[in-house]
Amino acid sequence: MSQFNGADGGFQFDLLERNERLKEKGYQVPVARKTGTTIVGLVFRDGVVLGADTRATSDTTVFDKNCEKIHYIAPNIYCCGAGTAADTENTTALVSSQLELHRLNSGRESRVTTALTLLKRMLFRYQGYVSAALVLGGVDFYGPHLYTVYPHGSTDRLPFVTMGSGSLAAMSVFESKYMDDMSREEAEKLVYEAISAGIYNDLGSGGNVDLCVITRGQTEYLRGYAKENERKFRKPQGYSFPIGTTSILSSRFERSFVPTPFVSDPENSSTMAVD
Amino acid sequence: MWKESSVVATMASLQRPDFMPYQNNGGTVVAIGGEDYCIVSATTRLGLGFAIPTRNVCRYSILNNRVVLATAGMFADTATLHKVIKARVKIYEEQQDKPFGLHSAAQLLSNTLYYRRFFPYYTFNVLGGLDEDGQGFVYGFDAIGSGEKVKVVCNGTGQALIQPILDNQVEKKQQYENKQITKLSLQEAVDLIKDVFTSAGERDIYTGDAIDICIITKEKGVLVETFQLKQD
Amino acid sequence: MFLTRSEYDRGVNTFSPEGRLFQVEYAMEAIKLGSTAVGIQTAEGVVLAVEKRLSSPLLEPNSVEKLVEIDEHVGCAMSGLVADARTMIEHARVEAQNHRFTFDEAMPVESLTQATCDLALRFGEGVEDDEDKEEEMMSRPFGVSLLIAGVDNKGPALFYTDPSGTYIRWLAKAIGAGAEGAQSALQEAYYKSMTLKEAETLALRTLREVMEEKVESNNVEVAAVRTDTKKFVIYTEAQVKECLSRLENRDS
Repeated sequence: MSQFNGADGGFQFDLLERNERLKEKGYQVPVARKTGTTIVGLVFRDGVVLGADTRATSDTTVFDKNCEKIHYIAPNIYCCGAGTAADTENTTALVSSQLELHRLNSGRESRVTTALTLLKRMLFRYQGYVSAALVLGGVDFYGPHLYTVYPHGSTDRLPFVTMGSGSLAAMSVFESKYMDDMSREEAEKLVYEAISAGIYNDLGSGGNVDLCVITRGQTEYLRGYAKENERKFRKPQGYSFPIGTTSILSSRFERSFVPTPFVSDPENSSTMAVD
Repeated sequence: MWKESSVVATMASLQRPDFMPYQNNGGTVVAIGGEDYCIVSATTRLGLGFAIPTRNVCRYSILNNRVVLATAGMFADTATLHKVIKARVKIYEEQQDKPFGLHSAAQLLSNTLYYRRFFPYYTFNVLGGLDEDGQGFVYGFDAIGSGEKVKVVCNGTGQALIQPILDNQVEKKQQYENKQITKLSLQEAVDLIKDVFTSAGERDIYTGDAIDICIITKEKGVLVETFQLKQD
Repeated sequence: MFLTRSEYDRGVNTFSPEGRLFQVEYAMEAIKLGSTAVGIQTAEGVVLAVEKRLSSPLLEPNSVEKLVEIDEHVGCAMSGLVADARTMIEHARVEAQNHRFTFDEAMPVESLTQATCDLALRFGEGVEDDEDKEEEMMSRPFGVSLLIAGVDNKGPALFYTDPSGTYIRWLAKAIGAGAEGAQSALQEAYYKSMTLKEAETLALRTLREVMEEKVESNNVEVAAVRTDTKKFVIYTEAQVKECLSRLENRDS
């Protein structure tokens, strides 16, 4: 499986020393894009519901108003990611491909606990430097499963979980309204409410609500389950710039394609004569 | 061997809480000075880290019927600064028996800020109003009192997003052929303000919830309207 | 002079049983010994004119200075103890500059007058020195009266201040030894539509009536704040001469 882990497997650290030297000389290290996030998961009667907001931020600026935070792991397993966007995307993609190979080799449906083990092993190996906080959910042979995975590799198994900067807002909704053995409709609504709590009360979260409902034999990815934060106002006149707004300081016209002149040379003609 | 004194020193340095008297509550303020009007507007969201302690704070003060002050930055300092300035305006208007002028307000604000040169009010101010001739002007200030009389200004967390649009739309910057500046009507200016705040609200997490728009005219004094932004 | 003059005329901070502050009243008397000064307000500006007592031919007339600038738009004439006036004027100048620094505008004439008068009754009051210790600064009322003339956003204005710290606005006012005669002369001749030139002549004629010496260009001082320029200007000797010649022409 080394081909998925870089040349020798794992990360390459060859630029580390150089970058440290640059830092000493005052080079500003670029910041990674973190997704201040609300992600949740909930177990109901027939499966699990995963939920996420769609805002990606860098410091106080919104970079993506409609990003996807619920990642595909396997047809019956999905995983929400919070933390550094690159870490969550690559960690889930890595595990996803490992499971794909495993399914091809074994011919069996992936189990959620396998995904969990792969994720926590990877995160523990990197001692928290891979900053991915995950909510892993799926339905397999043994039924519905829901886990959280912390950046250092520890995991929890619970009937309802929240993660990310909006986790407190979302958890307050779960704590006040969660019941065992909820119907699918009830579960969807509760997850939507939990994500909304994060969207409205946490500045790191915002945009739309994405849901993913996984039941035995069926997965429904409800992208844009709720879109309550579309732009509300546009200036009636709009913005128009008449021709000539930008002055032309000088102009010069050139042929962008100059055809090579045709030289007739029957002796060296490369074209085949068709008789 | 540990020297007891060095341990005590280490403990002391560990236990001493860092003196961090400032916090950033975000917020954006915009002011446009027109031919016979001035608009001063400010967001109402109070942010703190990733939290929203309240969605409806007042970041502006009506100093009199032709001068309005609006402030972004730390809200505790904003409240104190506004209290100080309002008191000074009241004293002035009693003692001098005349309304406090826009220009004098700018000078007073500049001095008040500069007196705190080495422990500043963490505030980013805009001052807008009508001058003696009834023409709209605005002043933008940094935290320690450097200010300038201009036609349009933005301060606060949304500044980098909004100021270039205002420069282009109000002052016609980067529009070399439109040297004759077509003045915005009051309605156009209000719509522009609503639009730039809506746009900033899309991308700046500290700009949101609502804006207060103070419209200053000679005839009607200061009228305030509220315009809703997104809550997320 | 006073029927109940007793112990009460000693302390500056003690009222007499009749409710009088004798020291303040005596200070007012001091003004009646001073040289005469007149001020006249017109729509075009305010004129100030003062008598200079040249008690000796050896005295350098230019060194007698009874008209001073407080700020570029305000000037003042004084009568009484000139040294006391210096303290008040210094205070007024600081107030005027402080107003400019704080508000970036000229200080209105009335509030400048008020600020000056604020000092008048602060005698005997503790003043903080460099080491924050209280120090007794003054011990008696100022024995001086001022005519403060200026132009602000409300137009020209003339104020009269006395040792009690009271100030009153006048259209035309005389102070000093010849105040009584001068005031009735002003009352007789003053009219509201007067031009600045007419005010100059009236001021000099009034002085001439009450002065013991003959009015010359070296024993009077004239100054004006014009409404159009809003500037306080003390006249040169040539300008005073010109005013005097106008006065003489009118007489002839």
